[in-house]
Amino acid sequence: MSLCINRLTEERKQWRRDHPFGFYARPHRNPQGALDLKRWECGIPGKAQTLWEGGLFKLDVTFPDEYPTKPPKCKFVPPLFHPNVYPSGTVCLSILNEEEAWKPAITIKQILLGIQDLLDDPNPESPAQAEAYNLFKKDRPAYERRVKQVVRENPAL
Amino acid sequence: MESDEDFMSVGSSPDDFLDTQGSDVESLGDDFGDEFDGGFSKDKDIIATKRKPYEVEFKVLSPEDIERQQNVQINEVSSILGLPPESSAILLRYGRWKREKLIESYMDHPEETLEEAGLGTNFEGTPQTEVVSGFMCEICCEDGDELETYAMRCGHRFCVDCYRHYLAQKIRGEGEAARIECPGTDCHMIVDSKSLGLLVTDDLKERYKALLMRTYVDDKDNLKWCPAPECVYAVDCPIKQRDLRRIVPTVQCDCKHYFCFGCTLNDHQPAPCTLVKMWLKKCEDDSETANWISANTKECPRCHSTIEKNGGCNHMTCRKCKHEFCWMCMGLWSEHGTSWYNCNRYEEKSGSEARTAQARSRESLERYLHYYNRYANHEQSAKLDKDLYLKTEKKMTSLQSQSGLSWIEVQFLDTASQALQQCRQTLKWTYAFAYYLARNNLTEIFEDNQKDLEMAVESLSEMFEKPVPELAQLKVDILDKTAYCNKRRVILLSDTAENLNNGEWSFNVDW
Repeated sequence: MSLCINRLTEERKQWRRDHPFGFYARPHRNPQGALDLKRWECGIPGKAQTLWEGGLFKLDVTFPDEYPTKPPKCKFVPPLFHPNVYPSGTVCLSILNEEEAWKPAITIKQILLGIQDLLDDPNPESPAQAEAYNLFKKDRPAYERRVKQVVRENPAL
Repeated sequence: MESDEDFMSVGSSPDDFLDTQGSDVESLGDDFGDEFDGGFSKDKDIIATKRKPYEVEFKVLSPEDIERQQNVQINEVSSILGLPPESSAILLRYGRWKREKLIESYMDHPEETLEEAGLGTNFEGTPQTEVVSGFMCEICCEDGDELETYAMRCGHRFCVDCYRHYLAQKIRGEGEAARIECPGTDCHMIVDSKSLGLLVTDDLKERYKALLMRTYVDDKDNLKWCPAPECVYAVDCPIKQRDLRRIVPTVQCDCKHYFCFGCTLNDHQPAPCTLVKMWLKKCEDDSETANWISANTKECPRCHSTIEKNGGCNHMTCRKCKHEFCWMCMGLWSEHGTSWYNCNRYEEKSGSEARTAQARSRESLERYLHYYNRYANHEQSAKLDKDLYLKTEKKMTSLQSQSGLSWIEVQFLDTASQALQQCRQTLKWTYAFAYYLARNNLTEIFEDNQKDLEMAVESLSEMFEKPVPELAQLKVDILDKTAYCNKRRVILLSDTAENLNNGEWSFNVDW
């Protein structure tokens, strides 16, 4: 438990010192105004020169007590139109899977950059929602139109 | 030099068995002893009695044997390639212990092979836990001056606590051992046993070793764990998957459990694995129930309720809809006129077609039931015999006090009981086997053998159930019958195994 909090405190320090352009990540503040280090609100910008450019997508990151032994759960709010995002908004990515590529040394910065990469480079091997997956596989122009619409609905400020 | 190849060549040459003939099986266990060398190079390591046509060569390995076998191979590869043993172990596990292929691949592209295996190409120095000034652990973010740290040759350094925690989670939490990677992001270097030894507690090391052993046996095609509950032994047998059409490889573990090396089910000689699977599926399937319904029932022509005729005349009145019809021709009863109890519409074409279809279905069901009933009967009797076996010891004790026979002398009951178990197991499977056999001259011989064994078994079973006071007088008879049963079983199994091996059987199914 203390390991989890220590690490998150340090992650927060590191993030405030330096973080990639266009992203944000901050612990959630509850209605009483107290910081909850185990729940972060993050924003991932679409990469320049991709379909996703100009969008900013809101992500809830929840850390389990066993963090960093176990990975955090990352969830787009609202759920995002993307082949590897479950209808609930949860992101399906190997580095976020305890039994796959999760390593305790992976930082929040690396997670967020990893998810940004995933936006324009979906993994058709592990579909998580039917709608985006089917369009991606069968009707690429329609898929791209939908992505552009999603970007318009979630503009970077 | 131990390898699969050596193992095969020694095992498959019948001459090697000749000079050890006659030594009994019990003494074999002792022979393995300390000088066991991880392979089959010594004649006396092989099951020594001359093999019968239905027996296969195999060897039981204890956990110690398995560990030694691994170490022999690891040390060998280590000395050939000049790599540390713990790295050679990782390399071997990566190559699923196929030594020749691995060495070849290493000689051709050493760096790619090492990278692929998760070893890296740097073998300088010996990693130790150390205190590094100005270090901060990337996992817990601690940075104390006294902080003990560790890094494998990949250089990803973490504090010992985090490393330990990570390894414990992998080993205990996920049951992983052979492919635990460095905790560093994107680093695929495999944690070796030496690093692990420096970091974790003894009970975790034990668990790690057990997991590695499990992957070793799983990786090798010639090794299988004994499926008996709590059994720690593995069996080494050279029979390959493709051989299973010709051979039914029954092996016996040192825990006394007989099982098939091909499918790890209980001994099912003489039936081959594929037929056993088909049979078990057939017995489980509801399709047989449907088959029975189609053979024994008809539908009411009006409301289609299923009706079984359980006696009486052909004048049927449906319980449900009160429809009256003739069971023979399924026509309306009212149209039968005066020929009520002797349906003269029998020769009609549509009626006769329906009847042939039904007859065929009934015949196939009867055939199945014939074999199934005998199969199930032996299964049931074997269970009953087993209960009896449990009482045998009690019987033997009471026999000692009543008849003045010594414990050694009443061992004949134990032997008889074991023979009964084994023969019934064989008989049971002969019926499943026979179900799939297409008739030819060989099946006649097979059925004669089956009948002989069955009669012998039944009469032994009968003697065996006699009241205790009579058993002492029956000793000689029981001994004779036991020997006879065993002999008949050997004859039956030898005959079926030889024909199977030579492809002489024809079957009524494709498999």
